[in-house]
Amino acid sequence: MSVPAWLPAGAGSLFPEHKATRRAWLASMVLILVLLLLPFLVRLDGKPHADLEQFIGRFHPLAVHLPIGFLVLVPTLEIAGRFRPALRASAAFVLGLAFASCLLALILGLLLAHGGGSAGSAVTQHMWSGIALTISALLCVLARPSWFAARVPHVYPVLLAGCMLVLIWAAHQGGSLTHGANYLTQYMPAPLKRWIPWAAPASSSFFVQHINPILDTNCVTCHGAGQAKGGLRMDSYDQLMKGGKDGPVIVAGKPDSSLLLERVTLSPDHKGFMPAEGRPPLKAEQIAWIRAWIQQGASPSANTLAGLSIGDEQKEPPPLPVADYSALMPEIQRMDQAQGAKLMPVSSKPADGLILLTVDIAPQFGDAQLAQLLKFAPYIVEADLGRTAVTNASFDTLAKFTHLRGLHLEETRITGDGLSKLAPLTQLTYLNLSGTQVSSAAVAQLSSFKNLRHVYLYNTPAQPAPAAAQANPIARINR
Amino acid sequence: MKQHPLCTDPECGPSVMHLPVPAGLKREWAALETRRHFLGRTGKVLGWAAMASLLGESALRGDTNPAANHASGSASGDGFKLPNFAPKARRAIYLFMSGGPPQIDLWDYKPNLAALYDQDVPDSVRGTQQLTGMTAGQARFPIAPSHWPFTRYGATGTWVSDLLPYTARMVDDLAIIKSTNTEAINHEPAIMLMNTGNMNAGKPCLGAWLAYGLGSMNDNLPTFMVLQSKLNPKENNQPVSSRLWGSGFLSSEYAGVGLRSTGDPVLYLSDPDGVDREVRRNMLDAVNEINRQTYEELGDPETHARIAQYEMAYRMQTSVPELADLSKEPPSTWNLYGEDAKEPGTFAYNCLMARRMAERGVRFTQVYKRGWDVHGDVTGMLPILCAETDRACYALVTDLKQRGLLDDTLVVWAGEFGRTVYSQGGLSHENYGRDHHPRCYTTWMTGGGVRTGITYGETDDYSYNVVKDPVTVRDLNATILHCLGIDHNKMTYKFQGLDQKLTGPTPASVVEGLLA
Repeated sequence: MSVPAWLPAGAGSLFPEHKATRRAWLASMVLILVLLLLPFLVRLDGKPHADLEQFIGRFHPLAVHLPIGFLVLVPTLEIAGRFRPALRASAAFVLGLAFASCLLALILGLLLAHGGGSAGSAVTQHMWSGIALTISALLCVLARPSWFAARVPHVYPVLLAGCMLVLIWAAHQGGSLTHGANYLTQYMPAPLKRWIPWAAPASSSFFVQHINPILDTNCVTCHGAGQAKGGLRMDSYDQLMKGGKDGPVIVAGKPDSSLLLERVTLSPDHKGFMPAEGRPPLKAEQIAWIRAWIQQGASPSANTLAGLSIGDEQKEPPPLPVADYSALMPEIQRMDQAQGAKLMPVSSKPADGLILLTVDIAPQFGDAQLAQLLKFAPYIVEADLGRTAVTNASFDTLAKFTHLRGLHLEETRITGDGLSKLAPLTQLTYLNLSGTQVSSAAVAQLSSFKNLRHVYLYNTPAQPAPAAAQANPIARINR
Repeated sequence: MKQHPLCTDPECGPSVMHLPVPAGLKREWAALETRRHFLGRTGKVLGWAAMASLLGESALRGDTNPAANHASGSASGDGFKLPNFAPKARRAIYLFMSGGPPQIDLWDYKPNLAALYDQDVPDSVRGTQQLTGMTAGQARFPIAPSHWPFTRYGATGTWVSDLLPYTARMVDDLAIIKSTNTEAINHEPAIMLMNTGNMNAGKPCLGAWLAYGLGSMNDNLPTFMVLQSKLNPKENNQPVSSRLWGSGFLSSEYAGVGLRSTGDPVLYLSDPDGVDREVRRNMLDAVNEINRQTYEELGDPETHARIAQYEMAYRMQTSVPELADLSKEPPSTWNLYGEDAKEPGTFAYNCLMARRMAERGVRFTQVYKRGWDVHGDVTGMLPILCAETDRACYALVTDLKQRGLLDDTLVVWAGEFGRTVYSQGGLSHENYGRDHHPRCYTTWMTGGGVRTGITYGETDDYSYNVVKDPVTVRDLNATILHCLGIDHNKMTYKFQGLDQKLTGPTPASVVEGLLA
């Protein structure tokens, strides 16, 4: 057996001595050639082909996880085999399985892409990475015997390491294709995001903050730089507005003429329903945002939309559990009977806290009565002081209700002076000041309250102008 | 002590008093007997019966077995089990559209039906369903498309009939359930099923369960109130009866308290001339004392319920006039609800009252609007019915929302069933009738705990059968309870050897898709 002249000296020991294995080498080289030519034989032209291709091809997402598992197992077995040689013996078998399953997944993937009419750079790259992975798995199979026989020590480990890198690249691209490019970074903690430039939104406009993420998650997989089904790309504002081969999908100001909205609001079993291929439909509020955004001009830069606030989108902080008040129950009952105010458990779980109800004795319940409840303050999560006789002086007491999440002060005599004293109530999310004399200036003190989401100002001097109120009757403080 | 004819207690047998012993010994024995009776009897039933009113409302419940059947959420009670988890809604308002509103003319938009005008509903759609006696004999079942156009509203683009221009403005705030379905095809069983979870009378209704399970937030008003709305003389007079808000086997103090639609909200509530508060109090104290003695003798827990109700009526003498006094309502209220709301007993007035009750901590308010039973003259009747209810529904939800009450108030709009796609009686382009239809009808919910801006469930092209996400009456009730923090499987009451519950023995499930 002569060693090809272009190979470096010493590579000879890689090549097999026996005739049978030589034949296997030859077959492998032919296979590699076929694999390299495959993309040119099966052109991804972006047009759907035979349904049968798609039917079989759709098993790709299923089959694709086999080679991942097998391939990761190989180095694990090789390393573990240093300590338990029996494990290393099985590595060859697993490697063979890995190659076979790579080949299967590759074929199914090609059928899926070709049959479903996928095209675009992401699909092409994913295809090439799949081919590269299959070839490198095959090379590993070929290189392993000489490494195992300790003839060539370095080629196989290097090939295997390379194989892992190709695997990560191929798998990540596959994931991006199915789940969207921002799948991994969407819920990344903000401090981490800062280090990854492409994960942080560049602008605070409504489109960038709210519309784009919806499209990224639900649409761009098929309508992006990777694939552009129907000639439509939705991975940037300009591309989106350009539309697809059926014309524009967004008509600014006219949601009902916008194809995008029409397709996402069809019945999910309709042929034209989007997102297609059984992906989950958009949520109602997402459709509502898109509609409002189109209605109000489909602007790429507007920061807010009239009548729409997405304050709730930020999750409310998880309630801080309160300590067990069970031991205080006799005292609570005595207070209840003496004073008439009720402390009701929110639920059967003491950690959910107590609600203060004063409706029975509202006219007589004033600042002094509130002060008598200080002992129970850490257990009270909601205080209903509506229509009571409390005044601004109660803010000093209320500041000690550290677990308060909801505070009703509607139709009381408070004017809002000293509202800022409630700042220690970091749990406060709901504040009802309806029917009081609070002024806009007083309400401004609340702007620094981090978790306060629902502020009701109906029938107060601070109530927003009627026009705004018409569109959004609940006055919310947006931040 | 007098023996009750039904008493089998050996203690009630021949007494020492009948024996020939010295009178002094008899007196001594009598003293002992009193103590023994006091300890024995009261210990057996409700220990602190005699001090009932002193101990506050939870002692006045009259449960036969406080340990097994006590469910109060009140801290002043002896232990508590409910709510099972922190609720999203603390109170609920149920707008009951009695008679069966036609879903096809209001919510369930079927544009394809216009082309099928006067064609028969295919047999494959009707299947083997048994129809009511009113249309079972009809030779044909001609499709009657809705007389009214539909328009898309709100950011969600929901289709709503032109009959509901006001409700349409708030579609983004509603969860519209198109797949509600029931097993009953006639009013009485269907309306019983909606309200009590059982077609047969005698079970407690939703409001009674809530009053029992969650207790009162305001001692001066009933926990569960029922408002009846006036009827236009042209409207179908299909009646509703008080067993719809009855407490069944629960103590009768959990039954709904109805406010009258005309005149005084509660009859004989005001003191007659010459009787002041003091006199009334003295009289009640005396009556309560007599009732307490009766209770000690007979041990019937309903006696407690009676005492509690007298006390409630006494407190309502001041709380109801304040509740019904609309003079302090700002002009914006009348702009919102319309002038109708100024006339007591109208649906609009009742909606305004429901909001005022919500503000005052009434746990559950049910507003009944009758007249939806449109067997004929749909085009004549529906505009009247919608004019009476549409704006008021919108006003109520909007009002709750602007006042910050919608966050923890559940609002439900529902009838007992829907109406058929085919015409009952003659069909013309101008008019048609619709018979009862149990297989699908539309209801809506909003407020605390509800995922708003959605349409849940789908019906087929004829608005006849549910094709996706069916919601049974049991599921609807389980979902309502869930919003109020109650696991429908856990709120039970032992009666006739069964753990009775609102959703009954057939499995029911909370509709997760409707929850926020």
